[in-house]
Amino acid sequence: MKKITAYFVSLLLLAANLQFAAFGQANKELLIKNATVMTAVRGTLENTDILVRNGKIAKIGKNLSAGAGAEVIDATGKFVTPGIVDCHSHTMIDAINEGTLSVTSMTGTRDVLNPTDIAIYRALAGGVTSANILHGSANSIGGKNTVVKFKFGHPVEDFPIPDAPPGIKFAMGENPKGSNFSRPGVAPRYPRTRMGVIETQRDAFLRARDYKRAWDDYKAGKTKVPPRRDLELEPIVEILEGKRLVHAHSYRSDEMLNLLLLADEFGFKIATLQHGLEAYKIAPEIAKRGTGVSIFTDSWGYKLEAYDAIPYNAYLLWKAGVVVSINSDSDERMRRLNLDAAKVEKYGGVPEEEALKMITINPAKQLGIDKRTGSIEVGKDGDLLIWSAHPFSVYSRVERTIIEGETFFDRAKDIQKRADLAKEREELEKLDVNKPPAAGGTQPRVPSERRVEERDDAEFGDGGNQ
Amino acid sequence: MKFRYVLFAIAAIGLLFSVSISAQTYAVTNARIVTVSGDTIENGTVVVRGGLIESVGANVKAPADAEVIDGTGLTVYPGFIDADTNLGLQAPTPATSQQQRGGGASGPQQASSESNSNYPEGLRPEEEASNELKSGEPQFETSRNAGFTTVLTVGRTGIFNGESAMIDLAGDSVSAMIVKSPVAEHISFSTIRGQYPGSLLGTFSALRQMMLDAQRLQEIQKLYAANPRGIKRPESDKSLEALIPIINRQIPVVFNANSEREIVRALDLAKEFNLKAIIAGGQESWKQAGRLKAMDVPVLLSLNFPRRTAAASPDADPEPMETLRLRAETPKGPARLAQAGVKFAFESDSAKNIGDFFTNAGKAVENGLSRDAAIRAMTLGSAEILGVNAQTGSIEPGKIANLVVVKGDLFGKDRAVKQVFVDGKLFEVKEEPKSPANRPNGGGRAVPNVGGNYSITIDIPGQPLPGTLAFTQQGNLLTGTIQSSLGTAPIRDGKVTVEGFTFTATVEYGGSTVDINVKGTVTGNQITGTIDSPQGAVPFSGTKNP
Repeated sequence: MKKITAYFVSLLLLAANLQFAAFGQANKELLIKNATVMTAVRGTLENTDILVRNGKIAKIGKNLSAGAGAEVIDATGKFVTPGIVDCHSHTMIDAINEGTLSVTSMTGTRDVLNPTDIAIYRALAGGVTSANILHGSANSIGGKNTVVKFKFGHPVEDFPIPDAPPGIKFAMGENPKGSNFSRPGVAPRYPRTRMGVIETQRDAFLRARDYKRAWDDYKAGKTKVPPRRDLELEPIVEILEGKRLVHAHSYRSDEMLNLLLLADEFGFKIATLQHGLEAYKIAPEIAKRGTGVSIFTDSWGYKLEAYDAIPYNAYLLWKAGVVVSINSDSDERMRRLNLDAAKVEKYGGVPEEEALKMITINPAKQLGIDKRTGSIEVGKDGDLLIWSAHPFSVYSRVERTIIEGETFFDRAKDIQKRADLAKEREELEKLDVNKPPAAGGTQPRVPSERRVEERDDAEFGDGGNQ
Repeated sequence: MKFRYVLFAIAAIGLLFSVSISAQTYAVTNARIVTVSGDTIENGTVVVRGGLIESVGANVKAPADAEVIDGTGLTVYPGFIDADTNLGLQAPTPATSQQQRGGGASGPQQASSESNSNYPEGLRPEEEASNELKSGEPQFETSRNAGFTTVLTVGRTGIFNGESAMIDLAGDSVSAMIVKSPVAEHISFSTIRGQYPGSLLGTFSALRQMMLDAQRLQEIQKLYAANPRGIKRPESDKSLEALIPIINRQIPVVFNANSEREIVRALDLAKEFNLKAIIAGGQESWKQAGRLKAMDVPVLLSLNFPRRTAAASPDADPEPMETLRLRAETPKGPARLAQAGVKFAFESDSAKNIGDFFTNAGKAVENGLSRDAAIRAMTLGSAEILGVNAQTGSIEPGKIANLVVVKGDLFGKDRAVKQVFVDGKLFEVKEEPKSPANRPNGGGRAVPNVGGNYSITIDIPGQPLPGTLAFTQQGNLLTGTIQSSLGTAPIRDGKVTVEGFTFTATVEYGGSTVDINVKGTVTGNQITGTIDSPQGAVPFSGTKNP
């Protein structure tokens, strides 16, 4: 008898351990009942259930049932979509630009992730589950990216998607040539023209070729001493080998074409043109190369190279067969990407499902994570949003944000929690350490001073959102 | 005849030396003795001779030649150790000349950057605190009077802060002060002004590249030593050579890291390059206690606990919960680390008031840390982490005579340090300070004169901004202007105190007006400080225009 008890106890402990290792909820089943399911790839299914098991979508259908202990959500009258994927974000990083050099491929956003950034939680409240965390656009060749899921509350190592192909930021035009941001007293940095930008990029590829040759020679036994490992050139070799995706900040059609030709010359593909305001002008050239474009829906005119943008960009690119995504590039816009997708239905009449794709499966494709996320299909990660109404309505709100079966935002719980937080604050403010000093002290900041400049392309320079 | 004189002279010189360098013999009797290494002796004697502890015990008798100090009602502790300071280094080291990095716009340079390194200042791990140390005892008076006999000291600028030294706070020569050097390489996740790495992104890639280059240099050195024929001579690179003992785990690396994410980054880097890591600061280290324990990484834990410094203002938003929680949780950290089995030593950080060290250690005790553990974290525990426990940190025969004689409760308000022995040298603490004494740049001096024009560089990461400060000083009042490419603004509420200057100003920034709070100090012709704005605090430094 004792033995049996011990056996069961150890079994229980094992189960508890497993649960802990899988961070709580992933092992559980989650059943969403009777929703309007917008799959993003196979149309919209009415009165449909979704079963998520071990973090993956296990079943989609009617009258599904789950095992004991499963969480069941009645989603009658509600909409379910895949989690939103933001293909261009600078959220959750403590530094955005290494602005000192024009080639900073040795840097990477993985080193500076901040898993406690409150913008993550706000993005979750807007339905974003995955994001491409990019280096800024101050450099002809910027730093390495990190493709993450917003597992807010988890340790930082849980954020990067382990099988996402690595990527890197490139930038063309005004930002890397620095024309918008020159400062009196600071020495100008090469390059200062678009000619210089493409030359800097070509030079880096030529150096990377030589570097690869030096290693190949060493591996073939032709040289005695191993070459120096060069963290700047290693990622560029990976681009040449097709192992690293290039996400290139670019505005003007001529510079985009320039970059596409450079990629042709070195025999690789540009994964995405980021922003791509004038991409509609060269849609066939982009489509032919299988390059994606990640855009703002309707943001323009904030600098000279942003004057030829039109709201029909998404439509024209989609018509030409380009994989298009809509990104935020901003902690604020990230919370309402559903509405930016809705706009492309209005401008040019992109069909609803195609518009939804532009914030789900399309960015997932551009980031190489479409096998696991971006649509509601059996076998994919349980990255799901429950909306109070149609997601393209301004009246719609995200009620739940689910990543791999675990709830990371729950509107009802958030509202409940506010009273507890207010109480906790009251207690904390009573402590001596949190009281203002009896005399003197520095002046605290008042709200009017904290307002930072809103800029549509706030990823370069020293704005608050840098 | 002549010979005799010579002999006599030699004897006399010898006598002189013995008086001035080898300390006298002392016995502290009838005292409570907290040995730390063994049981506390409720009533005993400790004998100091020739700079060492000769004997200690309940039945030890004071030798006939000893100067006796009656310890009735007093407690003797091992000399306290402050596990991270920049004492004895003319602040800041190694960069008295931080402003000259990257050709910043700020004027005349000082000598300390004369180096043949291939790396810019701030990325030179070979800089040693022991080379920068200044001798002379008065500079240590504040710390010593508080009961510290031994400190770890290192500069605080750059990414590589350089190699630290363990010093005793007595000695008229640097060589006599040093207990151990180098102790550790110190790394801050900071940036270099105006050149790569100018952001935290670059800091990590620059560190990583240097570690890889050091690994390679070591390999090539080995190949070359085995047979130089046919191999290009490896470069004699002092900066990379200094990293070789670090990547070989012969010298530990102290990472200055307070927030949880900085600590995680430090541990990740330590894991990547198999470094023997130590965390310094460690405000949130308790949140990573499990990993610190698993990786056997000790913490030099700051006792400069955070507290609100901002005045009340009806216009200000409430402080973030994160901040409120941090202040509430920090005093609970030491007990949590102890419970998790993480090794830690206390350090004063840059606490303005050195007395806070003991007051806050007391707060850690109130929050669940045992008294013994608290005392250990300022004596033997610190000595163990810093590798000097064979020499100091406890009251045992043969160890260095570093002792402190305390009246009252060490963690209480009635604490009074009576005598301090450093290397057997007796320092009587004259006054009982009502409030614990201030650090050297605080107490008792006249208000400095800071008037004049200064060329400064404002260290916005990656985008250093040159500017000028024009100060006019009348008594404690400061007026003038701050000028940069953002415009010129008049100084408001300018004050000069013994601790430096403060003022506020309103500048145009990004299309809106922003109030900045500026504070700083002037030392000689050098000016340093910080500018606090809604975008965060940035340091600045510069020089006075002739």
